[in-house]
Amino acid sequence: MPLVEVINVSKEYANGEETIRPLDEVSLNVNEGDYVSLMGASGSGKSTLLNLIAGIDQATSGEIVVADTDITKLARGKLADWRAAHIGYVFQTHNLIPVLTAYENVEMPLLLLPMSASERRKRVEIAMEAVDLTSRASHYPRQMSGGQEQRVGIARAIVSNPTVVVADEPTGSLDDKTTEQILSLLSRINEELGMTLLMVTHDSEAGQRAKRQIRLERGRLMENGKETTSAHLRTA
Amino acid sequence: MLGQKLLPWDYGVRNLFRRPSRSALTLGGLTIVVLLVLVVVGFIRGLEKSLAATGNPNVVLVYALSSGADIENSSIPGRTPALLSASVDGVRRGHGVEYVSPELYLGTRITTAGMTEPGMGLVRGVTTTAPLVRGQVQIVEGTWPQRGEVMVGRLAHSKLSASKEDLAVGQQVTFDGQTWTISGLFNAAGSAFESEIWAPLEELQTVLKRQDLSMVAVSMDSLDGAADVELFCRERIDLELKAVAESSYYAAMQKHYKPVRMLGWVVVALVAGSGIFAGLNTMYGAVVGRVRELATLQAIGFRRRAILLTLVQEATLLACAGAIVACVVGLLLVDGTAVRFTMGAFMLSVDSVGIAVACEVAALLGVVGALPPAIKAMRLPVVEAIKSI
Ligand SMILES: Nc1ncnc2c1ncn2[C@@H]1O[C@H](COP(=O)(O)OP(=O)(O)OP(=O)(O)O)[C@@H](O)[C@H]1O
Ligand SMILES: [Mg+2]
Repeated sequence: MPLVEVINVSKEYANGEETIRPLDEVSLNVNEGDYVSLMGASGSGKSTLLNLIAGIDQATSGEIVVADTDITKLARGKLADWRAAHIGYVFQTHNLIPVLTAYENVEMPLLLLPMSASERRKRVEIAMEAVDLTSRASHYPRQMSGGQEQRVGIARAIVSNPTVVVADEPTGSLDDKTTEQILSLLSRINEELGMTLLMVTHDSEAGQRAKRQIRLERGRLMENGKETTSAHLRTA
Repeated sequence: MLGQKLLPWDYGVRNLFRRPSRSALTLGGLTIVVLLVLVVVGFIRGLEKSLAATGNPNVVLVYALSSGADIENSSIPGRTPALLSASVDGVRRGHGVEYVSPELYLGTRITTAGMTEPGMGLVRGVTTTAPLVRGQVQIVEGTWPQRGEVMVGRLAHSKLSASKEDLAVGQQVTFDGQTWTISGLFNAAGSAFESEIWAPLEELQTVLKRQDLSMVAVSMDSLDGAADVELFCRERIDLELKAVAESSYYAAMQKHYKPVRMLGWVVVALVAGSGIFAGLNTMYGAVVGRVRELATLQAIGFRRRAILLTLVQEATLLACAGAIVACVVGLLLVDGTAVRFTMGAFMLSVDSVGIAVACEVAALLGVVGALPPAIKAMRLPVVEAIKSI
């Protein structure tokens, strides 16, 4: 049973007379422990697919099953609860809360889960250590560099031990050296912590770091020259 | 709503310090709004209190049939008190005296030591029975006036637009061609008497060359004593008298001032309304700059209601801070400020009602001011909001 199953998903946007269809009946399997990179031209629909899997956007048709839950069937409030429990989101620009310290930013997702204060502290400390920022815990976002901010963003995404970590161009606004740091951090998260990772990037070098590379071309998902399918479709 | 995960209280509080100058300006605006509300409610409450405290249901006022509701224009024969106590049963007695107070009441020009121009004041000629019938009256300083003396209510200075020192015990005032020394100072539980000057009746009559009275106030044993006095007035047609329970007299006054009170409440509503628009404007500004942050919170898994609540919390905190500042300023500066009015003077009263209304207005400003911009921000789809700058 794959961890994430995208089944015949389409996304359409009505743009006046014409309809844009960045995703045209795409299907995809992501297994536990996978590190998948998603590449493609600008405007091809990479962010759209990522946001659908992360449960912050709605598909026009199709199903998305994550850890046995069809998230396309969830009402908005339930979907929010589901995101809290299952998704870690790394944004292109860190999107940290400016009035909270690094520590408090990382702690945010845990406030949504049933957890004691001491358990929370332990988890935040582990996540801060994983991104090597223990010494910056009490700093506010404005007191940190772009790379450090992004690392805090990653700590926030992994702190709740989510089912899937999604990242939308996590190195898009960083210089080469910092990009390298972030990419090796993501690899470590996948290899050492065993987290399932889905990363959108337009940088093919970054894409090569993932275990699987998928391209989005004209509304279709291609892997190793073939269109991807879902386990569900194969057995059907 | 409850049981769902809320954003930390700290988040809302710290957001207020994010733009300190904007928060301070908003706080200032909210404080002024709440203060204005306090002043207007204080005015209404003060007026109501002054009228309510004056009316005693046991006391019956007897005055001239022809004078309408205005006792100042009333003139009744000087023998009325004697006739009244002889003919009516049920007049209260104590210490061997009947509680019948003959009074001469007039508005006149009064000059004090510190004044160049005389001011319009209210003078009441009284006998020693007056404080028995007017039970609210209490001498707080000095003594009851003897010959050539008067005692003054604690708001009389304000009715005259004189300074408090001008009407202190030992000072002199001049009216109707005679100079009087102030022997005492009295208060009267916020009633209209507090803006009057009381002089010995006989001496006042001599100075004014009058033998008549304005009215007689009678304290009755029971509440239905008024009926007996009324009967007396109707039987003695020759005296041309009218009897009204003091409480009804002031109830009529209350009715008379109803439009003023209504206007007061309209002003409260208008001030609160304009405050809401000001609050809305600031909250729109505060929310628009944070669209992406609010979307991030949603992406993390906070429900829209929790985010709405934190925005309302921010605005309400500011409004409550404004209410506290306004109430402190109100209690220190507004409460007890004397206001001159046609029928005397009364004090603005910042009491529990005023403070409750002020707090309600503040809470309203917070909630109503924050909700529309917050709802607007929450309507935006997360995927779009997250891309905004
Ligand atoms: N809200 C929207 N309304 C209409 N069209 C939209 C909307 N959001 C996205 N699109 C369109 O959908 C297509 C896919 O957008 P998407 O953001 O997924 O692209 P992308 O592959 O992430 O591009 P990039 O590499 O530039 O980030 C684009 O053509 C875009 O114009
Ligand atoms: Mg994109």
